[in-house]
Amino acid sequence: MRILRFVARRLLQLIPVLLGVVVLTFLLVRVLPGDPIRTILGPNATAADEAAARARFGLDRPLWRQFTDYLGGLVTGDFGTSIQSGQSVGSEMALRIGPTMELVVLAVAIAVVIATVVGLWSARHANRAGDHGIRVLALIGNSMPEFWLGLVLILVGYAGLGWFPAPSGRVDPDTDLTPITGADALDALLTGNMPALTSALWHLALPVLTLVIVIVAPLLRSVRASALEVLRSEPYAAAEAHGLPGRVLRRGYLVRAALVRLPSLAALVFGFAIGSTVLIEYVYSWQGFGQWALRGLLYRDYPVVQASVLVIALCYVVVFLIADVVHAMLDPRVRI
Amino acid sequence: MSLLRTGRSRKDRDGRFGTVLVAAGAGILAVVALAVLLGPLFTSWGPNQIDGDAPTLAEPGGAHLFGTDVNGMDVWSRLLYAGRVDLGIAIAAVAIAVVLGSILGVVAGYFGGWLDDVLMRLTDIFQAFPTFILALAVAALLGSGPLNLTVAIALVNAPAYARLVRAEVRTIRDLTYVDAARTSGASTIGLLWRHVLPNSLTPVRVIAPLNCGWAMLTLAGLSFLGLGIPVPDAEWGAMISLGTGDVVAGRWWTSVPPGIALLVCVLGFSLLGEGLQERADRVRR
Repeated sequence: MRILRFVARRLLQLIPVLLGVVVLTFLLVRVLPGDPIRTILGPNATAADEAAARARFGLDRPLWRQFTDYLGGLVTGDFGTSIQSGQSVGSEMALRIGPTMELVVLAVAIAVVIATVVGLWSARHANRAGDHGIRVLALIGNSMPEFWLGLVLILVGYAGLGWFPAPSGRVDPDTDLTPITGADALDALLTGNMPALTSALWHLALPVLTLVIVIVAPLLRSVRASALEVLRSEPYAAAEAHGLPGRVLRRGYLVRAALVRLPSLAALVFGFAIGSTVLIEYVYSWQGFGQWALRGLLYRDYPVVQASVLVIALCYVVVFLIADVVHAMLDPRVRI
Repeated sequence: MSLLRTGRSRKDRDGRFGTVLVAAGAGILAVVALAVLLGPLFTSWGPNQIDGDAPTLAEPGGAHLFGTDVNGMDVWSRLLYAGRVDLGIAIAAVAIAVVLGSILGVVAGYFGGWLDDVLMRLTDIFQAFPTFILALAVAALLGSGPLNLTVAIALVNAPAYARLVRAEVRTIRDLTYVDAARTSGASTIGLLWRHVLPNSLTPVRVIAPLNCGWAMLTLAGLSFLGLGIPVPDAEWGAMISLGTGDVVAGRWWTSVPPGIALLVCVLGFSLLGEGLQERADRVRR
């Protein structure tokens, strides 16, 4: 299988990049101002207390030794111990990734579908009122601060209409949901817990809507531009002149060609969405990865910062890898 | 340019919408800039002035157009003064990013070699992260305040400009007119400054306005998280953050107006960028 070989090669190429990221974060977080130990000690702590705390987290050792210890841990899947909470970073992170992924993946998927349908329509009605209206609307959505849009949706959907649950948490605790992946809707589906599923979906509605509105514009623009290129191309004109039925023209000529540029852009948008979730999680008290990483950063919790940076980088490059594979499947000219 | 009639009329139509977008964007920005610069003319309150007579969280109307916030400060006047901070930092940060990125891009693209390799690998690492996350990390490490924020936002945007300019320079440096200038004895600096740089900035002109809008959103986002402009100073993101608690209680006036101000400003930049893009596409086609 050529694709499998391609994926394997790309995964191998990832190792030096990720190693670079690990080294850089490890050094930067220690070189730049801020001290994690001072934040966990009370105001009356003595120098001896501080030294003891430093020793407990191995921060008294030489830098190279700390690094080799950390790297050794990473190889065995140990991300270290959080200085703030004293818990294992790996297990803390496992609880946090699911909820965030649920949010981002759902939003990007919905945005891609909307962008495809609306973008194709927009291209086929290019430069008419409907097309102009859609483009301006998408620009407006793209120009909104996502955290503010989240607040407005809460104001309308919760405080005003009362249709949606309060922005605290991801699922009604009374539904007794057993966590498996941390993505609540998925967990509810896996355990067949219908009340929890309904509750999780209601909680998801507003944050996902917020994210979709903010990210749909660039995807829409890309689909529209590619579709316009196809519609104005000679092969398409020839196919049309030969009298092919509209359905064949759309399915055979337009849709696939118009989607060719979408995967790599969707990967970029995925990264943008990860950035936005830090803000959206904050607004909806989502208790996801973004909030966790942000707190780690603010308290200079070295292991937490290192782990979250590594995971974000890993996530980002893996998404780009998936995008390349999808691109190759859509476009037969691409050889991988 | 095509002489086919249908082709031309289609181009003209695309171009007209582009011009409309540019005009709308520029108009919006002009109005906002005027309102913000002449702000004190439209309000009798200072940005941090507490009205002892009005209750905190007073509803809009009367002496306070948009009511007062949780501290008893006038929302409308804070809105106007905050615009200076937001627009100022965003434009300054993008300007710094353009200058820094262009210098790096021209040097890397023109001279090539190991310098090019080092610079491009560095931008690779920067681009392995979503930009907001990078800005967040840099701002958290540098600390809050207008100067640090400008630096943080400029820093995370510079690599994109470096790449853009470098790509342009690599094609331009081999063009005949550059050769001609070189043989007629232009110094390297003069050659780069007078002949290479101006033409390599074409894509930057489209990206920079869009980037200004993005910089405003980043700044506001950072302030919203408490990493930006420290309270009591007026800044739109910080104002929204201050009004977060009011939203759940159904009080809209503390957080909705600053968001609309941001939206209008960023939309101005987006329209400008989109319109310029549309016109650039028309020329290319």
